[in-house]
Amino acid sequence: MQNNRLGLAFISPWLAGFLLFTAFPFVASIWLSFCRYDIVSPPIWVGLANYDELLRNDPRFWKALSNTLWYAVAAVPLGIVTAFALALLLNLEVRGMSVYRTVFFLPSIVPAVASTMVFMWILNPQIGLVNGILSQFGVTGPAWLNDSRWAMRSLILMSLWGVGGSVIIYLAGLKDIPVSLYEAAVVDGAGPWDRTRHVTIPMMTPVIFFNLIMGIIGAFQYFTQAFIMTNGGPEDSTLFYALYLFYRAWKYLDMGYASAMAWVLFLIVTVVTAVVFRTHRTWVHYGG
Amino acid sequence: MNARVESAPQAAPLRRAVIVLLNLLLAGTFILIFALPSPRQRAYSERIPVRFWHMWSGEWKDVVDRIAARFNESQDKYEVIALSVPGGSADYKFLLAVAGGDPPDCMAQWNQVVPAWADEGMLVPLDSLMTPEEWESFQSTAYPVALKIGSYKGHLYGVTTGINIWACYYRPDHLREAGLDPDKFPTDLDEMWDWGLKLKCAGPDGSITRMGFLPGWYAQYAPVFGGGFYDSQTGQVTINTPANLRALTWLAGKQKELGFDKVVRFQAMLNTGGFSTQWPFISGQYSITVDGQWRVEQLAKFAPDLEYRTAPIPPPKGGRAHAGWSNGNFMIIPKGAREVAGAWEFIKFWSGVENPERAAEFYTWGGWLPLSRRIAQAPIYQDYLKKYPQFRTFLDVLPSENIQVTPPVPFQVFLWDMVGRADDFAMRGTKTPKQALEDLEREMQQEIAKRKRFGL
Repeated sequence: MQNNRLGLAFISPWLAGFLLFTAFPFVASIWLSFCRYDIVSPPIWVGLANYDELLRNDPRFWKALSNTLWYAVAAVPLGIVTAFALALLLNLEVRGMSVYRTVFFLPSIVPAVASTMVFMWILNPQIGLVNGILSQFGVTGPAWLNDSRWAMRSLILMSLWGVGGSVIIYLAGLKDIPVSLYEAAVVDGAGPWDRTRHVTIPMMTPVIFFNLIMGIIGAFQYFTQAFIMTNGGPEDSTLFYALYLFYRAWKYLDMGYASAMAWVLFLIVTVVTAVVFRTHRTWVHYGG
Repeated sequence: MNARVESAPQAAPLRRAVIVLLNLLLAGTFILIFALPSPRQRAYSERIPVRFWHMWSGEWKDVVDRIAARFNESQDKYEVIALSVPGGSADYKFLLAVAGGDPPDCMAQWNQVVPAWADEGMLVPLDSLMTPEEWESFQSTAYPVALKIGSYKGHLYGVTTGINIWACYYRPDHLREAGLDPDKFPTDLDEMWDWGLKLKCAGPDGSITRMGFLPGWYAQYAPVFGGGFYDSQTGQVTINTPANLRALTWLAGKQKELGFDKVVRFQAMLNTGGFSTQWPFISGQYSITVDGQWRVEQLAKFAPDLEYRTAPIPPPKGGRAHAGWSNGNFMIIPKGAREVAGAWEFIKFWSGVENPERAAEFYTWGGWLPLSRRIAQAPIYQDYLKKYPQFRTFLDVLPSENIQVTPPVPFQVFLWDMVGRADDFAMRGTKTPKQALEDLEREMQQEIAKRKRFGL
């Protein structure tokens, strides 16, 4: 008991911060989602009006939701495949491997805002690096972030810039696979592809599963890059859910509406995560 | 093993001493942080402080600091303490400060906040601080646009300390090169468009390397075509009107003529890092461009040898002269401010409500357009105009009744975002101008209906 009290005392700054800045706003937002609230005046109870408005009368809500889903469906699998492939390459026994690993990890520690600013230049349709390279092959590159057909694709491609963090997790997972399994596979006559297909991938499924869940949650909260680079445009093509929520809350001072949006998002993320969890028994293998 | 057992009793007091020392160091640091005097020393600590927030930085912050210093020197009751708040988050900070019951005493703003904040009862009506005679005099001397910027539902919530007017900047060297006479600048918008085509230069691949004239920004051109987004008589938002449609159709048509993709690529190529020195007009990438009066001061600073002239935006046939959209810098006092009287003193001092001749100098420091004719007529302001003759165009446009501001409705920010969005759809050719306006009208009616349902 004495120890517990001492422990609680030590974590009390965190506890106080958590209760005040996370738990309280979390609970308060449930109530606020049923209110009209503009920060300055006291909240006014409006019942389900915010939810009703959101689901029935707001085409931008659906646009933001579909944009976010489209991003999640494209960027998450792409991120997983790329990170996994990189991890496999970085797991080879090659001279100077630690340098390669560092190189691939480095982008993920660059602050998002800084790398976003750099990408604005890289993707510049006229003087950008990407279109410069494409023009060497006689290809006129698209207008990327300035074109509503390409803006979302640009952001999806850009998301690969930060796969370094996942690569490290995959690498740790790869190191955990018992060598005996590979030895047994070799004895059975398995080639490199068979070993990857029947040993590495099944053994890595818990790690892939973890990255999938984190990726889905991250994709639904996508904000910074769109906020800085496109502001939701052109033509709402990069209006993400979190961005629209932010605008509703802070630009239009509609905190109640934004709270309702936040809870709808919470529900969606919970359902999607639960569905993915449901499927995991069929494809995630634990143990040797 | 034995050695470690023997050394343990000796190590314990040492460890304890280190821990005590570290704790003392930590405690000492905390005490020091709180005990040290604030880095901002007050110059007149015996006076009543007036806490003033603004969003200027860099060269502009220096100007504001100078004005605050002048005010502090001018009297012995108040001390204005100016604080530069980062522009991106200033509005949130202000809102939270008001909600928390500790707002600044006054704030300089340029965002679209008056209708929404006044509607919430967050702002002190400044006309309530004036005597009836003062209020009458203010209304009769202030430029119409200054009143439009600061008013909401018949009350004044913001006093302008600088108004922004947009007009044409053009380069005579480019004009001469294209065989056009700089002394006969177009007085018709379509003629200016034709000039623009003659001034345009393209690279071997067909890409635009110099833009003669690029019309754009619907909100600026709608009043030029006789349209606009607000009817002050009825207090209603106006969207899908013939004049507004004419403006958007003209703009979208010209964009199509230039080639939307080419325009996008041209604009992406420009140095638009936001720095004054990188203005594409200076580098010669625009021959005629529409921009604000502050460029005059910047051109004098960063491109003193550049030959350029200014002219009002010419109207099309059936359009309005000296028309356009405007905004400005204005001072507000939040409800709950501790020093309303001190804040009002400062606002009067800076804006020139109290002493136009004295305030005229402040307007020249920032290259700002004045609140009233009396300030413009002050000798110091007239000297400024002699120094920068190009500035006179903006002052000529300033008294015009055709200058419009963002509609003073509480959902102003939302409305303006939606107007920008409709502009984007039409200019990219995704929607016809008619469709874009019809959709905008519907969205606005939905928003108005929603506000009604919410009892707003």
